[in-house]
Amino acid sequence: MIRIPREQYEAIVAHARQEAPREACGLLAGHGDRIEKVYPVPNRAELAVEFFAERGLIPPGRDYRPDAPGAIAVERFFMDPEEQFRALRAIEAAGLEHLGSYHSHPATEAYPSRTDIELAAFWPNMLLMICSLADPARPVVRAFRVVDGRVQEEDIVIEE
Amino acid sequence: MAVTILIPAPLRRFTEDRASVQVEAKTVGEALAKLDELYPGIRERICEPDGRVRRFVSIFVNGKDIRSLQGVETPLADGDEVGIIPAMAGGR
Repeated sequence: MIRIPREQYEAIVAHARQEAPREACGLLAGHGDRIEKVYPVPNRAELAVEFFAERGLIPPGRDYRPDAPGAIAVERFFMDPEEQFRALRAIEAAGLEHLGSYHSHPATEAYPSRTDIELAAFWPNMLLMICSLADPARPVVRAFRVVDGRVQEEDIVIEE
Repeated sequence: MAVTILIPAPLRRFTEDRASVQVEAKTVGEALAKLDELYPGIRERICEPDGRVRRFVSIFVNGKDIRSLQGVETPLADGDEVGIIPAMAGGR
Protein backbone atom coordinates (compact mmCIF):
# COMPACT_ATOMS: atom_id res chain seq x y z
CA MET A 1 0.00 0.00 0.00
CA ILE A 2 1.21 3.51 -0.77
CA ARG A 3 -0.12 6.84 0.41
CA ILE A 4 -0.21 10.11 -1.50
CA PRO A 5 -1.68 13.53 -0.64
CA ARG A 6 -4.69 14.51 -2.78
CA GLU A 7 -2.97 17.51 -4.38
CA GLN A 8 0.02 15.43 -5.53
CA TYR A 9 -2.32 12.79 -6.94
CA GLU A 10 -4.20 15.52 -8.80
CA ALA A 11 -0.88 16.90 -10.08
CA ILE A 12 -0.21 13.57 -11.83
CA VAL A 13 -3.64 13.60 -13.47
CA ALA A 14 -3.27 17.28 -14.48
CA HIS A 15 0.15 16.60 -16.02
CA ALA A 16 -1.26 13.60 -17.93
CA ARG A 17 -4.09 15.75 -19.32
CA GLN A 18 -1.77 18.58 -20.24
CA GLU A 19 0.55 16.30 -22.28
CA ALA A 20 -2.14 14.17 -23.97
CA PRO A 21 -2.08 12.70 -26.58
CA ARG A 22 1.62 12.35 -25.68
CA GLU A 23 2.67 10.52 -22.54
CA ALA A 24 3.54 12.58 -19.46
CA CYS A 25 6.27 11.37 -17.09
CA GLY A 26 7.93 12.31 -13.82
CA LEU A 27 9.50 11.14 -10.57
CA LEU A 28 7.93 10.24 -7.22
CA ALA A 29 9.59 11.25 -3.96
CA GLY A 30 8.78 10.88 -0.29
CA HIS A 31 9.55 8.58 2.59
CA GLY A 32 8.95 4.84 2.83
CA ASP A 33 5.48 4.09 1.48
CA ARG A 34 4.37 7.73 1.41
CA ILE A 35 4.72 9.87 -1.70
CA GLU A 36 5.13 13.49 -0.65
CA LYS A 37 5.96 15.24 -3.91
CA VAL A 38 5.86 14.53 -7.62
CA TYR A 39 8.46 15.99 -10.00
CA PRO A 40 7.35 16.36 -13.66
CA VAL A 41 10.14 15.61 -16.18
CA PRO A 42 9.94 16.48 -19.90
CA ASN A 43 9.31 13.52 -22.22
CA ARG A 44 11.96 13.26 -24.97
CA ALA A 45 10.72 10.05 -26.61
CA GLU A 46 11.28 11.50 -30.07
CA LEU A 47 15.03 11.66 -29.41
CA ALA A 48 15.27 8.06 -28.20
CA VAL A 49 14.39 6.18 -31.40
CA GLU A 50 17.47 3.93 -31.40
CA PHE A 51 17.04 3.22 -27.71
CA PHE A 52 13.59 1.69 -28.29
CA ALA A 53 14.45 0.17 -31.68
CA GLU A 54 17.44 -1.82 -30.45
CA ARG A 55 15.26 -3.39 -27.76
CA GLY A 56 12.59 -4.39 -30.25
CA LEU A 57 10.14 -1.99 -28.65
CA ILE A 58 8.90 -0.39 -31.85
CA PRO A 59 6.20 -2.45 -33.57
CA PRO A 60 6.96 -3.47 -37.17
CA GLY A 61 6.00 -0.83 -39.70
CA ARG A 62 5.98 1.99 -37.16
CA ASP A 63 8.44 4.81 -37.23
CA TYR A 64 9.45 6.66 -34.14
CA ARG A 65 10.36 10.04 -35.59
CA PRO A 66 7.57 12.53 -34.84
CA ASP A 67 7.32 13.74 -38.44
CA ALA A 68 7.30 10.24 -39.99
CA PRO A 69 4.11 8.58 -41.24
CA GLY A 70 2.68 6.36 -38.51
CA ALA A 71 4.92 7.91 -35.87
CA ILE A 72 4.43 6.44 -32.41
CA ALA A 73 6.11 9.16 -30.38
CA VAL A 74 2.85 9.56 -28.51
CA GLU A 75 3.06 5.96 -27.32
CA ARG A 76 6.41 6.09 -25.55
CA PHE A 77 8.19 8.17 -22.95
CA PHE A 78 11.87 8.75 -22.37
CA MET A 79 12.74 11.20 -19.62
CA ASP A 80 15.02 14.04 -20.61
CA PRO A 81 18.27 12.80 -18.99
CA GLU A 82 19.51 16.21 -17.78
CA GLU A 83 16.10 17.12 -16.36
CA GLN A 84 15.81 13.68 -14.77
CA PHE A 85 19.21 14.15 -13.13
CA ARG A 86 18.23 17.65 -11.96
CA ALA A 87 15.00 16.30 -10.44
CA LEU A 88 16.91 13.54 -8.63
CA ARG A 89 19.26 16.17 -7.17
CA ALA A 90 16.27 18.31 -6.13
CA ILE A 91 14.72 15.28 -4.40
CA GLU A 92 17.95 14.69 -2.51
CA ALA A 93 18.27 18.38 -1.61
CA ALA A 94 14.70 18.36 -0.25
CA GLY A 95 15.62 15.50 2.07
CA LEU A 96 13.27 13.10 0.27
CA GLU A 97 13.84 9.58 -1.07
CA HIS A 98 13.40 8.76 -4.72
CA LEU A 99 10.55 6.23 -4.60
CA GLY A 100 9.77 5.72 -8.26
CA SER A 101 8.26 7.25 -11.37
CA TYR A 102 4.91 7.98 -12.95
CA HIS A 103 3.73 8.18 -16.53
CA SER A 104 0.49 8.38 -18.42
CA HIS A 105 -1.23 6.01 -20.83
CA PRO A 106 -3.29 8.51 -22.84
CA ALA A 107 -5.40 5.87 -24.61
CA THR A 108 -4.79 2.55 -22.87
CA GLU A 109 -5.41 1.03 -19.45
CA ALA A 110 -3.41 1.85 -16.30
CA TYR A 111 -1.35 -1.33 -16.37
CA PRO A 112 2.37 -1.77 -17.18
CA SER A 113 2.96 -2.51 -20.88
CA ARG A 114 5.65 -4.90 -22.11
CA THR A 115 7.80 -1.80 -22.73
CA ASP A 116 7.22 -0.60 -19.15
CA ILE A 117 8.09 -3.99 -17.66
CA GLU A 118 11.25 -4.40 -19.73
CA LEU A 119 12.54 -0.90 -19.01
CA ALA A 120 11.66 -1.06 -15.31
CA ALA A 121 14.54 -3.52 -14.98
CA PHE A 122 16.98 -0.56 -14.93
CA TRP A 123 15.36 0.63 -11.70
CA PRO A 124 14.51 -2.53 -9.76
CA ASN A 125 11.78 -2.46 -7.10
CA MET A 126 10.86 1.15 -7.78
CA LEU A 127 7.24 2.28 -7.72
CA LEU A 128 5.61 2.69 -11.09
CA MET A 129 2.45 4.80 -11.14
CA ILE A 130 0.39 4.89 -14.30
CA CYS A 131 -2.39 7.34 -15.09
CA SER A 132 -4.81 6.18 -17.78
CA LEU A 133 -6.89 8.67 -19.74
CA ALA A 134 -8.61 5.95 -21.79
CA ASP A 135 -11.87 7.42 -20.49
CA PRO A 136 -10.95 11.13 -20.42
CA ALA A 137 -13.76 11.94 -17.99
CA ARG A 138 -12.60 9.28 -15.53
CA PRO A 139 -8.81 9.10 -15.17
CA VAL A 140 -7.55 5.92 -13.49
CA VAL A 141 -4.31 5.91 -11.49
CA ARG A 142 -2.76 2.63 -10.32
CA ALA A 143 0.60 1.78 -8.74
CA PHE A 144 2.87 -1.20 -9.35
CA ARG A 145 6.28 -2.63 -8.72
CA VAL A 146 8.05 -4.83 -11.24
CA VAL A 147 10.05 -7.41 -9.31
CA ASP A 148 12.11 -9.84 -11.40
CA GLY A 149 9.88 -9.14 -14.39
CA ARG A 150 6.68 -9.82 -12.42
CA VAL A 151 4.09 -7.08 -11.90
CA GLN A 152 2.79 -6.52 -8.38
CA GLU A 153 0.05 -4.00 -7.74
CA GLU A 154 0.11 -1.64 -4.76
CA ASP A 155 -3.09 -0.16 -3.37
CA ILE A 156 -3.17 3.63 -3.36
CA VAL A 157 -4.55 5.54 -0.38
CA ILE A 158 -5.25 9.20 -1.17
CA GLU A 159 -4.80 11.45 1.86
CA GLU A 160 -7.35 14.28 2.04
CA MET B 1 42.15 16.02 -8.94
CA ALA B 2 39.64 14.61 -6.47
CA VAL B 3 36.21 14.25 -8.06
CA THR B 4 32.97 12.96 -6.60
CA ILE B 5 31.03 10.27 -8.44
CA LEU B 6 27.32 10.14 -7.58
CA ILE B 7 26.08 6.55 -7.62
CA PRO B 8 22.44 5.94 -8.63
CA ALA B 9 20.33 3.70 -6.38
CA PRO B 10 20.31 0.72 -8.80
CA LEU B 11 24.15 0.57 -8.75
CA ARG B 12 24.66 1.01 -5.02
CA ARG B 13 24.75 -2.73 -4.47
CA PHE B 14 28.24 -2.50 -6.01
CA THR B 15 29.35 0.34 -3.72
CA GLU B 16 28.34 -1.06 -0.33
CA ASP B 17 25.30 1.24 -0.53
CA ARG B 18 27.40 4.40 -0.85
CA ALA B 19 25.61 7.23 -2.70
CA SER B 20 28.90 8.93 -3.63
CA VAL B 21 32.50 7.87 -4.12
CA GLN B 22 35.60 10.07 -4.38
CA VAL B 23 38.36 9.24 -6.86
CA GLU B 24 41.39 10.97 -8.36
CA ALA B 25 40.90 11.37 -12.12
CA LYS B 26 41.60 13.74 -15.00
CA THR B 27 38.85 12.49 -17.33
CA VAL B 28 35.46 10.82 -17.04
CA GLY B 29 36.90 7.60 -18.51
CA GLU B 30 39.64 7.59 -15.90
CA ALA B 31 37.12 8.21 -13.13
CA LEU B 32 35.08 5.20 -14.29
CA ALA B 33 38.24 3.05 -14.39
CA LYS B 34 39.12 4.11 -10.83
CA LEU B 35 35.58 3.39 -9.71
CA ASP B 36 35.83 -0.09 -11.20
CA GLU B 37 39.13 -0.69 -9.36
CA LEU B 38 37.35 0.10 -6.10
CA TYR B 39 34.15 -1.76 -6.99
CA PRO B 40 34.88 -4.38 -9.64
CA GLY B 41 32.06 -5.03 -12.10
CA ILE B 42 30.36 -1.65 -11.84
CA ARG B 43 31.93 -0.29 -15.04
CA GLU B 44 30.37 -2.92 -17.30
CA ARG B 45 26.99 -1.75 -16.02
CA ILE B 46 27.81 1.73 -17.33
CA CYS B 47 29.96 1.14 -20.44
CA GLU B 48 30.00 -1.16 -23.46
CA PRO B 49 33.05 -3.46 -23.75
CA ASP B 50 34.59 -0.89 -26.17
CA GLY B 51 34.39 1.85 -23.52
CA ARG B 52 31.45 3.84 -24.91
CA VAL B 53 28.75 4.76 -22.44
CA ARG B 54 25.77 2.42 -22.79
CA ARG B 55 22.77 3.94 -24.51
CA PHE B 56 20.47 3.66 -21.52
CA VAL B 57 22.96 5.34 -19.21
CA SER B 58 23.69 9.07 -19.02
CA ILE B 59 26.74 10.58 -17.36
CA PHE B 60 26.85 14.20 -16.22
CA VAL B 61 29.71 16.45 -15.26
CA ASN B 62 28.36 19.17 -13.00
CA GLY B 63 24.90 18.53 -14.43
CA LYS B 64 25.89 18.58 -18.13
CA ASP B 65 25.41 15.40 -20.18
CA ILE B 66 28.85 14.26 -21.44
CA ARG B 67 27.23 13.44 -24.82
CA SER B 68 27.15 17.22 -25.33
CA LEU B 69 30.73 17.57 -23.99
CA GLN B 70 33.60 15.25 -24.99
CA GLY B 71 32.13 11.91 -23.98
CA VAL B 72 34.40 9.79 -21.77
CA GLU B 73 37.29 12.09 -22.77
CA THR B 74 35.59 15.01 -20.96
CA PRO B 75 38.24 16.55 -18.67
CA LEU B 76 37.65 16.79 -14.93
CA ALA B 77 38.82 19.45 -12.49
CA ASP B 78 39.25 19.27 -8.75
CA GLY B 79 35.85 19.20 -7.04
CA ASP B 80 33.86 18.23 -10.15
CA GLU B 81 30.80 16.12 -9.67
CA VAL B 82 30.18 13.14 -11.97
CA GLY B 83 26.58 11.90 -12.00
CA ILE B 84 25.48 8.56 -13.46
CA ILE B 85 21.85 7.64 -14.17
CA PRO B 86 20.07 4.89 -16.06
CA ALA B 87 17.31 6.02 -18.42
CA MET B 88 13.73 6.10 -17.29
CA ALA B 89 11.50 5.14 -20.16
CA GLY B 90 8.41 3.18 -21.08
CA GLY B 91 5.21 3.41 -23.02
CA ARG B 92 2.07 1.57 -23.88
